[in-house]
Amino acid sequence: MTEFFTVKRIDNSRVVRAMAPQRLRACVRFVGLSALLAAVVLLYAWQHFQAIQMSYRLEELKSAQAQAVELNQQLRLEAAGLRSPMRIDAIARGQLGLTAPVPGQLAPTQGPAGAVVAQARRDSAPVQ
Amino acid sequence: MDWRSPRARVLVVAALVLVWMGSALGRLAYLQLFCYGDYLNRAERQQQRIVEVSPHRGVVYDRNLHELAMSISVDSCYAIPSEISDPDMVSRLLAGVLDVSPDEIASRLASSNSFAWIQRKLPAEKAERIADMNLKGIYMMKERERFYPKQQLAAHVLGYVDIDEKGLGGIEYSLDSQIRGRPGRIMVLADAHKHWFDSSEEGAESGSNVVLTLDQTVQYLAEKELMQAIRDTHAIAGTVIVENTSTGEILAMANVPTFNPNARGDAPPDARMNRAVAALYEPGSVFKIVTVAAAIEEGLTNPNEVIDCQNGAIYIAGHRIRDHKPFGDLTVAQILAKSSDVGAIKLGLRLGAPKLYDYIRDFGFGQSTGIDLPGENKGILRRLENWTPISPGSISMGQEVGVTAIQLISAMNAIANDGLWVRPHVVAGMRHDSAFVPEAQPEPRRVIRATTAATMRSMLEGVILEGGTGPAGRLDGYTAAGKTGTAQKTDPATGRYSATQVIASFVGFAPINNPSVTILVTLDSPVGLHEGGQVAAPVFKRLAEQVLAYLSVPQDEPLRPGLRRASYHPNDPAAESDASDFDPAQIVSLNTSEDVVAPPAHETPASAAAPTVAFDSDNGVIVPSLTGKTVREVSQECEKLGISPVLVGTGVAVEEDPEPGTTVRRGSHVTVKFGRAPEAPSQSRKMN
Repeated sequence: MTEFFTVKRIDNSRVVRAMAPQRLRACVRFVGLSALLAAVVLLYAWQHFQAIQMSYRLEELKSAQAQAVELNQQLRLEAAGLRSPMRIDAIARGQLGLTAPVPGQLAPTQGPAGAVVAQARRDSAPVQ
Repeated sequence: MDWRSPRARVLVVAALVLVWMGSALGRLAYLQLFCYGDYLNRAERQQQRIVEVSPHRGVVYDRNLHELAMSISVDSCYAIPSEISDPDMVSRLLAGVLDVSPDEIASRLASSNSFAWIQRKLPAEKAERIADMNLKGIYMMKERERFYPKQQLAAHVLGYVDIDEKGLGGIEYSLDSQIRGRPGRIMVLADAHKHWFDSSEEGAESGSNVVLTLDQTVQYLAEKELMQAIRDTHAIAGTVIVENTSTGEILAMANVPTFNPNARGDAPPDARMNRAVAALYEPGSVFKIVTVAAAIEEGLTNPNEVIDCQNGAIYIAGHRIRDHKPFGDLTVAQILAKSSDVGAIKLGLRLGAPKLYDYIRDFGFGQSTGIDLPGENKGILRRLENWTPISPGSISMGQEVGVTAIQLISAMNAIANDGLWVRPHVVAGMRHDSAFVPEAQPEPRRVIRATTAATMRSMLEGVILEGGTGPAGRLDGYTAAGKTGTAQKTDPATGRYSATQVIASFVGFAPINNPSVTILVTLDSPVGLHEGGQVAAPVFKRLAEQVLAYLSVPQDEPLRPGLRRASYHPNDPAAESDASDFDPAQIVSLNTSEDVVAPPAHETPASAAAPTVAFDSDNGVIVPSLTGKTVREVSQECEKLGISPVLVGTGVAVEEDPEPGTTVRRGSHVTVKFGRAPEAPSQSRKMN
């Protein structure tokens, strides 16, 4: 018995997939939302780690500020000691050879206009 | 189902994964839903630390905002003994740094298992050495420590604190609640490496800063002069107070013996006592100002009334009271100037006990002045009903009463202040951040009329003029007035007045017409010269001249001739070159006072030839003769020459200083005295 095989050539090269705009939009939406979600998650993570880093930095700055304030206090203390009248008098007499003025040697003078140095020193507010 | 089929295998794996995931999720849910609080607490315990913050004690300033007391952070060393594996070795290592025996440190470590102080408030170098050792179980903690950068300056006013910064004396004690501040704590989040990554502070509050009325320069001058007087007279103690006459502000309060509040433990309790407010003594003759002022105020006498002083003796209630000198007839002004006891007693008796008592109270004796310092003594003034018949006489001349220095200067200040008694005070106000809140002061209280006060001032000037008991208190360039006192101390052994020990005092003010400062000087048991006019009045003079010049109070009296020239030194080129080479920055690098020893005040150092005020003879002008010229002519001529005239009096020029022909620097002051005739007495002055 002879068997015949028929070959049916199917040429579907001309077949064009029908466009499904809804599916495409859904796909794009899905990808977009996923990307957005990923970005949000990444942003959150980045912010979180930045916040931690900033916290470390803030504490470092706080510590530096506290040290600076403390150093300022120590310098003020040292300056106050250096400005002690007892010390200045001792230096004036012992090292500079100055003597106390007698009454006639002291005369009140009026400073020139715009002389603010003494005033600034007198009124300067100490740093707290 | 064929378990060997691929589908079945996939199902098995999927089921296992599901079970694994389910169990993980279940565990996760269990931890999150049922164990959340527990784990949160555990995490917080690991991450959170609470650091105690010492309160920031406020700064104490003088009136010009110079720091007199302030606190800084220092390290304190503590141990957690349970973490220390070899306490003996740790004790030996720490002992080598801390100058403490190893046994003592070992006993401290053994005292507790959880916490033990090793040493508090360490010097920076010791703290650093201990930190470098990196010993397990040994830690450092920051604490505040009080420092007094001016050392013993105003020590009795400032007071001191204990190791916990609690005020124990002076302003530190009386204003402790305001200066101290409140402790707080810092909540810290730390990671596994103990790095802080978050913190919040709560509760801590800095103490208020205090601004005192003291002026550190005036205080220093007062302490220096008092110390010099103590050295000169070998007195066992002394007090000097400088008060602003019109406001009652204490510009200086100095006591000897004194102490360094940075090392208060080294000072005996006696040295820490503020004698100015706490020490009682019989005022002696200074108290006569109360008797005389009261008698004048009551219209019972006047400065010119002559009173018979009975050759120095008077009988009261059968007791004979002798004067320190036999006086005959004296005016009331002379009674004050010569300090006649008999004269004062007669005025006191004329006044009567009740009125005398009232005036004594009005002048502030027998009660606290209200000064804002702790430990003030109210003094001793017996109630009127307890007075004996002899009391009016004794009290009139300053016996049978106990007063404090602050009471005495306040009484004299009332006379200087036109009869108004003002409360002495040392606190000007509080300083919060940069805002200054002044301390409210009570209204001045009138004790005597202004005219009576003016009369008293005029009479008290006689004390320091020739013939008075205190000519050594006369100032150069300023008018002044005051009263001397020499009060015998009571001998504790016999209960009688000591023949050898006295309290010498001088209380005065200057200038007379518009007093700027009132100054009290007392010296306890001076040796040798011991009268108030001999030992206390010179201190008043030296101090008042410096303080008035420092406060820029205009001179109201010409300088005594010769003084100005005596202060000149010839120009010394070598000394000037030394001075010009001096770099102010060197001051900072100079050693502190331990290394710089000031020569005694009466000695002039060899290198002191350099003039304090340099007079450049190249640009000098010759002082012309101004005698006979009017005020206007003198002013015009001086202006033409470029010298500044100090004009005293009215009329025509009769005297000038420096003398005509003297070369002075351009711009120098020339004092010209005017009068009606060239022979006008140089002592004449007018009261307002």
